[in-house]
Amino acid sequence: MSTSGHALALDGLTKRYGSFTAVDNVSLRVESGEFLTLLGPSGSGKTTILMAVAGFVAPSAGTVLLDGRDITPLPPEKRDFGMVFQGYALFPHMNVAENVGFPLRVRGLSRADRDAKVRAALDLVQLGQFTDRLPKQLSGGQQQRVALARALVFDPNLLLLDEPLSALDKKLRAELQEELKALHQRVGRTFLNVTHDQEEALSLSDRIAILNHGKLIQAGAPAALYERPATRFVADFLGKSNFLSGTVSEASGAMMVVAAGATRITQALPEGAARPAPGASVLLSLRPEKIAVLGEQDSADNVVTGTIAGWSYLGAGYSLRVAVPDLGEIRAVLSAWRAPIAPRDGLAIRLGWSADAAVPVAEDAA
Amino acid sequence: MNGMAQQRGWWLLIAPAFLLMVAFYVAPILQVLAISFTEPELGFGNYERLFTNMSVQRVIITTLRICAITTVLALILGYALSYTIALAAPRAQVWWLMTVLVPLWISVLVRAFAWVTLLRRQGLVNTWLTSAGIVEQPLELVWNEFGIIVGMVHYMVPFAVLPMLSSMREIDPRLLAAARGMGAGRGLAFRSIFLPLSLPGVIAAGVLVFIFSLGFYITPAILGGGKTLMVAEWIGLQILDLIRWGLGTMMATMLVVAILVTLAVFSRVLDLRRLFGSGA
Amino acid sequence: MEGAYKPGPLGRGLAWATAIYLVLPITIVLPVSLTDQRFLSLPQETLSLRHFATVLGSAEWLGSIWQSFLIAIVATVIAVGAGTLCAIGCWRISRRSTDLIRALMLLPIIIPSIVYAIGLYRYFGPLGLLDRFLGVALAHGVTGIPYVVITVSTALAAFDPRLEQAARGMGASLRQTLAWVILPRIMPGIASGAIFAFIHSWDELVMVLFIASRNIFTLPRRIWDGINENLDPAMAAVAVLLIIFTSALLLLDLTLRRRRNQ
Repeated sequence: MSTSGHALALDGLTKRYGSFTAVDNVSLRVESGEFLTLLGPSGSGKTTILMAVAGFVAPSAGTVLLDGRDITPLPPEKRDFGMVFQGYALFPHMNVAENVGFPLRVRGLSRADRDAKVRAALDLVQLGQFTDRLPKQLSGGQQQRVALARALVFDPNLLLLDEPLSALDKKLRAELQEELKALHQRVGRTFLNVTHDQEEALSLSDRIAILNHGKLIQAGAPAALYERPATRFVADFLGKSNFLSGTVSEASGAMMVVAAGATRITQALPEGAARPAPGASVLLSLRPEKIAVLGEQDSADNVVTGTIAGWSYLGAGYSLRVAVPDLGEIRAVLSAWRAPIAPRDGLAIRLGWSADAAVPVAEDAA
Repeated sequence: MNGMAQQRGWWLLIAPAFLLMVAFYVAPILQVLAISFTEPELGFGNYERLFTNMSVQRVIITTLRICAITTVLALILGYALSYTIALAAPRAQVWWLMTVLVPLWISVLVRAFAWVTLLRRQGLVNTWLTSAGIVEQPLELVWNEFGIIVGMVHYMVPFAVLPMLSSMREIDPRLLAAARGMGAGRGLAFRSIFLPLSLPGVIAAGVLVFIFSLGFYITPAILGGGKTLMVAEWIGLQILDLIRWGLGTMMATMLVVAILVTLAVFSRVLDLRRLFGSGA
Repeated sequence: MEGAYKPGPLGRGLAWATAIYLVLPITIVLPVSLTDQRFLSLPQETLSLRHFATVLGSAEWLGSIWQSFLIAIVATVIAVGAGTLCAIGCWRISRRSTDLIRALMLLPIIIPSIVYAIGLYRYFGPLGLLDRFLGVALAHGVTGIPYVVITVSTALAAFDPRLEQAARGMGASLRQTLAWVILPRIMPGIASGAIFAFIHSWDELVMVLFIASRNIFTLPRRIWDGINENLDPAMAAVAVLLIIFTSALLLLDLTLRRRRNQ
């Protein structure tokens, strides 16, 4: 049983259906042993890409490479990829052992070899005692684990997952996320996951590739994407974000000043970013959790005064919508325990954030 | 609003159909059953003929043989058609379905007539065979068991396709894609996944075709030429020509019993409501 | 089905062969009906409409067509009337007993018509209904009930029972609820059932063979004689006309179904 994974590369992958472009010139590397998630809203092309990797969809242009070898012309049954489908696709007329053993039957293993590997695979997902059950006798979480065992039992080059957790309720989803992550570490293979759930992507992945309208917008480690989103879309899709727009009034060293109406925002320039010219318009993404509600005496790099337009109680904290002149409506979060203020509509409050809290992002392409 | 009166109103709606059926359908059928025990004399005399009369036994065996062959052929041909339709692209499916539905609507007389035209000695098939030099003498293709089977299978294939197609459409397409992704070839994916899951539809189709074939009158009568007799035509002869009411009604009763027994045996495996609903 | 194997050459070949087997023989009647010969054959020299002229000009054929048509109309009215009300009643009461009643209504489809036909032959005698319009129409109407019950029950299964409850809650009587709420919504199902019941009577032969002889000589009866006595090409002309007629009805049913699904 080889413990090293395989590397996958997509080179200019494009898929058109008539005049509709589902996948638009996507190039991506998945490193050996990596857990990479394709993340995006529905219609972003992520499932189409997965299906192209699996071989069920023939690309209109571009190639799929496995360890440098072009596998684009290869039919799905020859690619040796493990796949977990949405809804699991467990064969209803076979029991757990027969389901998991099916890929081995296909590959002509003897009965004894099959049984041994099936047992090993089921132990891997902690379902060893369910071999005789039929799929309909299993819970959603158990079915998902059988699907995983079936996908891994034949030591595939790659594991492809098509929204494997979307059919489960919230609590079960959280539980299985952790199990999936642990499984990846145990097995050490390359996992390619597709989801629209950004929390899932953030918690499971070594790297995330964000897609929208068939295009690859940004790829990188979860923290990198969260802290330095490239575009408005990425900032908005991963977590929550406020957007402040203005023009650069001056820029020098590692800082710049952005003018929005009468307000001046002190903004640190991110490392490696080009210094913008004065007069250029700029969009800043500012996450709610990085904004502090200031008391009378507190200060920060940026301080604005606004009035509460609305608020919600979330148990652990409050979510505030604050109307700020020149900047529009800003969302901030406030921890409920020992909160400095008691939120109510119309209350005037001071908000503050540091110069490196916000990050400039590009406007989305049309 | 009086609850009882409300219910009574709904029951009244059922009354006309119920009364019509009882008076004009059930009663004549029960009379047939009664006659089999009372004419020419009271008792089981007619039923004894099942064991003693050669001609009775010959008709039964001929009928069962033809119905069995028809069912098997209709299932094979129907399965190939259903399988293709179920996996075809939506636009192609419409055309395939037409080939199944259009014959269904054409009168059974027209269909039997078409077969006579094609299969008789001076018919088109024989003309083509002799002019192409494949055979020297025209073949006896009609007015015998062969002709009956050709005509019956032609009639029954659409009835086989409908329940099989309906059950195939319920197979989750992701199961087949999953099998393929796991490396299964076309044959294995079909044998171990598709075929077992389509079996309920096949059984339903088999029962439907067999039951319809047992009591079939028109096609076997036209294509049998009076020499090969199936049970429905035989019953007609007893009643209209030979005036042997006892024998005729006895066979008719046995026919109904055979059908009800078949349904009862398979009722455990089938959803009968769907079976007869899907025929429409 | 995305991703699944398409059927292999064996499956496709057999499917094509079966499709041709189903459709081609029926199409043969068209050229045969246009033959210029007096006997059953393909057109030798030219196409000729003489056989159509024979059929459409003959008093006997036209008489049979008209008779079949009238009987079918009356039978359809009986079947639709009784069948629709029965289906509605069973749907609303919805108990074990009504399930049995619906099963009873399906008997004419399960029991072969030969059994019923010989029963009628005896049964109608004392009632004076043999070889009478009313007898045949009644027999066809009663055996047409199952088709209507099936299609109307299917339409009712998609009908939201709360609509009926709302109407009753607003004070509508049974008759008003039926006429203004239920019937309008299941009309396509009723129309479908009517078409099936009509075709059932229009094509019916086995019962007619037993309960009619001279006065009632329907179209199928005349075709039956034509096929068994002499293979007259006029039969082919009749066949073509029948095909056109039933195809028109099929198109009508399909349009109704499409409108129902919208």
